[in-house]
Amino acid sequence: MPSAAEFAQTIKSGELIESPSEMTPEYLRELKHTLIVSGDTELISAPAYYLAAKRAPSINAFMTGIAIIQDELAHAHIAYHILEELGEDQEKLIFSRDPKSFRYPYAFDVPLESWTELVVANGMYDQAGFCLLGDIHDKCSYGPWKRGLNKVMAEENFHLRNGRTWMKRISQAGGAAKDELQHAVDWMFPLSVEWFGLPDTMKMHSTQLEYRLKGLTNDQLRQWWLSTVVPYSEEIGIKVPAHKETKDGKDVWELDYPFPCEFDAEAKRWDFSKPITWDDVLARWRERGPRNAEMVAMFQEEFHRFRKTHNNGA
Amino acid sequence: MPVNLVDLGVIYGIAEHDGIVDVDLTFTAMGCPASDFILEDVRERLLREPGVREVRINVVWNPPWTAARLTPEGRDALEAWGLAV
Repeated sequence: MPSAAEFAQTIKSGELIESPSEMTPEYLRELKHTLIVSGDTELISAPAYYLAAKRAPSINAFMTGIAIIQDELAHAHIAYHILEELGEDQEKLIFSRDPKSFRYPYAFDVPLESWTELVVANGMYDQAGFCLLGDIHDKCSYGPWKRGLNKVMAEENFHLRNGRTWMKRISQAGGAAKDELQHAVDWMFPLSVEWFGLPDTMKMHSTQLEYRLKGLTNDQLRQWWLSTVVPYSEEIGIKVPAHKETKDGKDVWELDYPFPCEFDAEAKRWDFSKPITWDDVLARWRERGPRNAEMVAMFQEEFHRFRKTHNNGA
Repeated sequence: MPVNLVDLGVIYGIAEHDGIVDVDLTFTAMGCPASDFILEDVRERLLREPGVREVRINVVWNPPWTAARLTPEGRDALEAWGLAV
């Protein structure tokens, strides 16, 4: 095991870490935490997307939805597989954890209940995933993860394409279809903005950045996301509560509502007249959202039932 | 997509007559999850050609597509993308 000073030098030099023997215990802990968030996010998107993919408007659209779910499961597998190499028990991680201890974004606890909401998720949530993973792919100091993400990035493009193509198509249809799309964007846009976490002004120190597990700060990632989602939404005639400003010669994306603010998860409605604190947001995240237990049960229940009947029969 | 449809070997025929283009194409699998995107791209791209006013796409399954239909350029592009071909 390297000394703390040797390790800091390795990280600083830009070299990749290839195995646990080259890490400090602190780096290992932070790497595992980052991988769990990534694996849990990919994993839970599968049941969340499945609820909505069932409502696909055609066989071809259903095949696309199912293919995206298959991708997400594979991406989760990459993260959990690396965790196993780092000494964790993959089966325990996936099947034996309490729903509330899963570390995926709050957005997936709010149910996607229509094809329209699924394609907005592909356009907005997958864009958030694309920014987060793209940054890790670009900057991550852990070689096996960095390389594992090569193909993930290619596949996430396909999800974005599904989201964008369908959002455009639904918007062009106009009438009630467009209203439904606008409504989905109204509640899903701020949830995606929140996805990137505390603003940099409140998060002075990031161990993940220090260890080069990622390269961009929360606000930088949020700006990247806004710079893709806001212009596209405007281009297809959908309103989003953000706009571009130029500050010191640089483009900056500003939100048109107090951030953070009150969210009614059952009604899927934001109250822009009620600003809240980040402590309130963190408390809501810890409590988890309406469908947390149901989403986790979707893949845990049958595993345990099958195991039980299988063992009894043996 | 890392490769164009011609190099992928899924375009079986194309003919133009009086501004109407008929395309025979196949997919690499019957459950191709990108089939809608591909049909849309082909139609949209051909309609951008001067004089083209209609695009008729005929999806065919015979002969079935195999990797042998890739052009050398298509094979290189897929390999560069990390796909086994």
